Amino acid sequence: MSDQALSPSAPARVKMPSVPGVVMALALLFILFAALSPGFLTTGNLSNILVQSVILLLLALPMTLIIMTEGLDLSMGAVLTLASLVLALTILSTGSLLLAFAAAVGVGLAFGLLNGWLVSMLSIPPFVATLGTMGAAQGLALLVSDGQSVVGIPRYVRQIYSGDVIGIPNPILIGIGFYALFHVLLYHTRFGTYICALGGNRDALTLAGVKWKRLLISVYMLGGAMAGVAALLMTARMNAGHPTAAIGMEFDAIAAVALGGTSFEKGNGWVLGTLLGVLTVGVLRNGLNLMAVPSSVQVTCIGVLVIFALLLDGMRSKS
Amino acid sequence: MRAVPDTMPRTVQPIPADPPGFPLLELRGISKSFPGVKALDDVSFPIWPGEVHMLLGENGAGKSSLMKVLCGAYQADEGEFFHNGEKVEINSPADARRFGIAVIFQEFSLVPYLDVAQNIFLGREFSSKIPGLLDRGRLYREAQAVLDLIGLDVSPYTKVHTLGVAQQQMVEIGKALSQNARILVMDEPTASLSDRETERLFEVMRQLQAKGVAIIYISHRMAEVFSMGDRITVLRDGKMVGRAMPDTSTPDELVRMMVGRNIDMTYPRHFTTDPGEVVLEVKGLSAKNGIEDINLTIRAGEIVGLCGLVGSGRTEVARAIFGADEVTAGEIRLFGKQQNGGPDAASRAGVGLIPESRKTEGLALIRTVGDNLAVAGLPKLFPNNLFSPRTARRTAEEIIKRLRIATPSPNQNVGVLSGGNQQKVVIGKWLAAGTRLFIFDEPTRGIDVGAKSEIFALIDQLVSEGAAVLMISSEQAEIVHVCDRAYVMRSKRIVGELSRSDLSEENIVRMGMHDE
Repeated sequence: MSDQALSPSAPARVKMPSVPGVVMALALLFILFAALSPGFLTTGNLSNILVQSVILLLLALPMTLIIMTEGLDLSMGAVLTLASLVLALTILSTGSLLLAFAAAVGVGLAFGLLNGWLVSMLSIPPFVATLGTMGAAQGLALLVSDGQSVVGIPRYVRQIYSGDVIGIPNPILIGIGFYALFHVLLYHTRFGTYICALGGNRDALTLAGVKWKRLLISVYMLGGAMAGVAALLMTARMNAGHPTAAIGMEFDAIAAVALGGTSFEKGNGWVLGTLLGVLTVGVLRNGLNLMAVPSSVQVTCIGVLVIFALLLDGMRSKS
Repeated sequence: MRAVPDTMPRTVQPIPADPPGFPLLELRGISKSFPGVKALDDVSFPIWPGEVHMLLGENGAGKSSLMKVLCGAYQADEGEFFHNGEKVEINSPADARRFGIAVIFQEFSLVPYLDVAQNIFLGREFSSKIPGLLDRGRLYREAQAVLDLIGLDVSPYTKVHTLGVAQQQMVEIGKALSQNARILVMDEPTASLSDRETERLFEVMRQLQAKGVAIIYISHRMAEVFSMGDRITVLRDGKMVGRAMPDTSTPDELVRMMVGRNIDMTYPRHFTTDPGEVVLEVKGLSAKNGIEDINLTIRAGEIVGLCGLVGSGRTEVARAIFGADEVTAGEIRLFGKQQNGGPDAASRAGVGLIPESRKTEGLALIRTVGDNLAVAGLPKLFPNNLFSPRTARRTAEEIIKRLRIATPSPNQNVGVLSGGNQQKVVIGKWLAAGTRLFIFDEPTRGIDVGAKSEIFALIDQLVSEGAAVLMISSEQAEIVHVCDRAYVMRSKRIVGELSRSDLSEENIVRMGMHDE
């Protein structure tokens, strides 16, 4: 009986390479677009892919942690939109970018606190709780903007997105910085260890004397704050606030996390996978854009890709 | 030292003299009640440094409650703890940890996707000099030291989900020891270990003993009780019914202490000497859920018991017969016809399962009594697939009357009924489906004493009308009083059959516990 558990499982019929599905997906797409689209494999375009992936990365990084706690945050896209509008309006009325940025992050933190409180203290399933706050944030976004774009933002704000430091575009530097931050957070702090345990075995945390409810709230607050940071880049990129700018971006973020191989169960996740997932979504969108595929079809492609990558991972873990 | 209650026959040797000095921990008069049950009733015993203290008792004797009280998960209603002779309180897991008590539950408190080192030191991570960051170097060094101590040969970087059960258990032990545990409580630690792994565990236990660690060890295996135990305490119905030493006691004595619960209950049963045709015949049945080589027969008019310890594979046999778990070998014949479909095929062939977890597997709690009664009989009641509320209501009313279900109407929500009446609804839904083989898994779980008799009267009525019954129960008394015959299971196999004349609690326990 127990001997069975010790002996290796029966040989799998299909021999699966031990490469994560996301690496294969990224490589395949890369080769595919390089072959199909002459403009794809140029320095300018590749740099473009990286720059355009950063906003998604800023959402996907905290989304990874939230999903590792067996949670979900559907409100991120809407909160990002609202934060972007608040940022634009604040800068118009006060002229202070710092104050505007603080207001955007504040909006994110407030929604994160609300999400975390609903999930942690009231035990509302994350899907339902954040679906509700998503609606609330979308409504507020329309309310504060009166359904109109907020324009007239000073030109220098644009520099945040389009500027560079010794030739490296600012967004890429910001992306690298936050990736490093999340890596350290997950692997070198108590917080990261407990995030893994929140999804893996909450009883273990209770028995170890860890007060995990507040911890869970802070994970959602981190997600909100990152939506606020992403709002700065988003506003700088468009030099305006749009009431529908990032609606639905949580789909891309969740897709990137899932593509990266983070599981929705048991606290099994990694931030490198998420980075690769974000790049895969970025390459896919960029390649399809170059081939003039409409954005509605792009969303379908991302959906198919996610399912495909998860199938690969499922087959790999079985074999 | 406490006297054994006077009502108990004194089958034990005089209680052995305790060593000099203070025990590491002493429990005095611990009681704990839950609504309707006295889980622990005036339990007292000392735990001495360096001893392996075996805790024996049937299912529900109070062992788990005692463990939970010890680790601070439950608070005792009455009683005192003495730690090295000093009176102390254990009101929380933190208290228990302070006195060096660590419990290793059968369900481990490990985080699957953290590595061995992170699990061992969960909640007690080491900070580095840089504020906010962890000292990972020290984490893995200290974890390696713990692994060396318990002789577990895995890397501290291994993710816990990739380890086998035995290794996970060792990690739990390592976790306990790294907290300077002086008293280690283990709940059937060898239940899922191979012989080699068991030997390794015993080796570690002996080393710990030599270092003065006391081990409280819950076991169902007589061989290890006698080979590893220094002292034995037997619990029954939440009471401590005896203490013994392995070298002056015998397995038979211990079994006698464990059985013989007094429950005032009547078991209405009309035994018949001449059962009818064979209803179910199982030959060489193995299934994915672990059961192996199961052979059994049930005739019309018979109640056949299936007993053994919790985890011995009883429920798995029921599920395999019902088609709920995949069969890998052997055959199931119902009324002479080979059966190899899922639960739908089984229920069409006349099998009904009355599961142990009534509220999740037996009923749709938020639906009405009428809906629940109709659900299994839908194909039979409505052969042309069109639902008729009138037929459903008529059938429901008929069954409510026949089984005397206490409900104002079929439209009552089933969730608000008492346990006994809910159980009748589960039985009723199979009556509506025309079931002729009823499989009961713990039919009286969570049902009060009066309603129990009623359920048994109902079961008796079913068989006298020609149905056949397979009954799983952890209450040996029920098996003994109600069944015509019984099969005893151990380690996912049937290890014996007891005829009506051999059917006694002692025989069941002896067969179910006897070591290979």
